[in-house]
Parts: sequence; C-alpha cells; structure tokens
Amino acid sequence: MRHPILLTMIAGLAGLVAIAGLGCGKADDKPASGGGAGGSGTARDALVEAWKKAGLTPSPMTPATVSFGKDCQSGTVNNVDVIVCVYPSDADAKAAEQAGLEWVGSTTGAAWSKGGVLVSAADRRKTDPSGRTINQLMKLSP
Amino acid sequence: MRSISILGIVLAVVIGSSTAYADRKQVRYVGIHPVAKSEGGGICYIEGPHVHVFGADKVQYRDHAGANYFVGDPVAYGYDGPKFTYKGHHPIHVNVVVGDDNDDVEYCYLDGPHFHYFAPPEGPEFRIVGDAYFYVAEPPAAYVDARPAMISINAVYRPLVYTRPVVTIEAPIGWIGARVDLGGPAVVVERPGAAVIVPSGGIRVDAEVRIPMPSVHVDIGIGSGPVFIGGGGGEGRGHGKHKKHKRR
Repeated sequence: MRHPILLTMIAGLAGLVAIAGLGCGKADDKPASGGGAGGSGTARDALVEAWKKAGLTPSPMTPATVSFGKDCQSGTVNNVDVIVCVYPSDADAKAAEQAGLEWVGSTTGAAWSKGGVLVSAADRRKTDPSGRTINQLMKLSP
Repeated sequence: MRSISILGIVLAVVIGSSTAYADRKQVRYVGIHPVAKSEGGGICYIEGPHVHVFGADKVQYRDHAGANYFVGDPVAYGYDGPKFTYKGHHPIHVNVVVGDDNDDVEYCYLDGPHFHYFAPPEGPEFRIVGDAYFYVAEPPAAYVDARPAMISINAVYRPLVYTRPVVTIEAPIGWIGARVDLGGPAVVVERPGAAVIVPSGGIRVDAEVRIPMPSVHVDIGIGSGPVFIGGGGGEGRGHGKHKKHKRR
C-alpha cells in the first residue's frame, strides 16, 4: 500500500510543473510590448508602477510618434518630460539611446536603456534643477 | 515706417535669442557635479550619464568615455549627500564610481583635506587613518606627468568658503603628501617650520610651500603618532577593483 502523503506530494509536484509550464514562454521571448496606453503587465507599465511606488508622480502615458521607435509613449514624472519606448531587443533599445538624447533637446536630460526599454527624460520646465528626479528615474529602471 | 523698423528689430531679437537657445549644444556628463552658475548653481545629483547645456572646465573635470567627470570637492558647491574625507592627491577609479565597464583611473590633485562623494576601492593603495583616506601607493607616471597642469585646481578651491574636513591625524608612512621626490621644481618655503611636533617616535612638519606657479600645500609626516581627525566620515558608495591607469 502506498503512503497517502507521498501520493499527495507527487500530485502537488505535478501540478507545480504544469503551472510552471503555462508560465514559461517560448525561447525567443521578447521584451513585453507597451500594449497601448493604460495596458497592464507590460515592461512600460511595470516601469511606471515602479516610479509610483517610489513616490514619484507620473502622468498618464500617451502614445507618441517619434522617429526612433514604433512603440513609444510619453508623459511627465514630477513635471519632467519622459518618453518610454519598447524595442524588440536590448540591442535595438541601446542603439536608440543617441536618438533618445536628441529628443531631450537643449536642456538637462538623459537617455538610457535596459531590458529592451529606452527611457529619455528631459527637464524642459526646469523643475528638476538638482537632477534628483532624473536620477531617481534612472535608478528605478528595471 | 519707424514703428515697422522697431517691430523688425524686436522680432529679430526674439527670434535670435530663441534660436540661440535652441542651438545650445548638449554637453555630456557622468556622475555628480556642480551646476554652472549661469544655470542657477548648486549640484546635479544625476549619477549616470546625462547631458546639460553648459560646459565643463578642464581642471575640475576629466574625460570619461566622452563624458565630463567631476574630480573636485562637491561639498564646496553645496553637495549634501554621503561624503568621504581624503587628504592629498589620489587616484579616482572612475569606472568604479560611475559603475560602467570603461576602465579609467584619473587623479585628484586637491591638496590637503577634502571631500568626495565616493570611497576608494578597497586595497593596498589607500590607507584609512581616523576617518580619512590617504593614498600610499607608488604614483604612476600618468599622475606625475599631469601634475604640473592639474595642480592648478587648488587655485580654484582656495577662495571657496565652505566647511572643509579637518584632518590633524598623523599621515601614514608612504603617503603621497610626504613624497619629497614629487615636490616639483624650485620649491620655496614661505612659512618654514610652521609646526614641528615630535610625538612618541615620530616627526611631523607642516609647512606652506610654494612653487613658482601654482602653489601647493605639502604636509610632511614621518613615523607614527597620535592624534585625531574631524569632518567627513562616511557611508555610501565606492569600493571595487583597481583598474588600469590612463595616461593623458
């Protein structure tokens, strides 16, 4: 006679494996797409959520048309202009950093990429003279 | 007709000034640094790579992978974050401070006690005595070669009024500030023997020394001794492995 506890453990383990299988994507996983304004579960949404959790105040992000990305949304965080673009790969996002700096224009700003997401921040309203908001945005990038 | 001319002049000035603004060139920076007075002054706390539309001088900044990296004392400009006390000249492992892969060792030529917002990497080239870091390694040629030009940074800081760290503790053996072989040409002692203390088994000589141009303050310490240290302290950033030295 088999031990009932052992059977329960085996069943539980099988369930976990099944759940893990559902959670795994294909090997060619790409960075999550922006998924449109207000979408959830995306890399961009996670980023905005991280900013909120850190006490920053992001505005709603709205689709933006720029030459350096097809999936971009812009808004403000503590009155600093930001644009967040999602790319198919890390390399694509990295390659867009220079264009992201050009988006900053003639003011204080930065552009950085990580995990296929490019973020550009520009202090066009001169509301971040010490750069602390931009520094926080940078540090909170996943 | 006259009013049209005036309007034209006004328009030209407005358009001209806005064009000038639009044309302000981006200048790359990395790390914490002072903000130009023309832009309001104070400190920029952006630690990563970023841009401004004001320039950087060549005495307080070094090139790091195309960006300007500040090697001066940020406290002099109002920095209020974590800080570390150093005494005398020392290397700065820039890639460790900014956290990138571009190996780069630059040199700070500030005489005497001063602050930075980072601690040096752990290792034999620095000794911490009291709360101050002293560079005790053999300075490389890159340091020596750039010294005559870069030592002029002290002329920038001398008139600045701010709370500097106070370091009165005996410098450790090997400290770069006690290296007479690095003193430079034609040393003229203005206030010889300003202080000669003979603590238990040690000798300390403080003297204001001036070379023709620019001037430096040289502390000469031999042996060990007692005493204290003030200012500085520190928590925060820094530490990491040593990197190659960059010659300029």
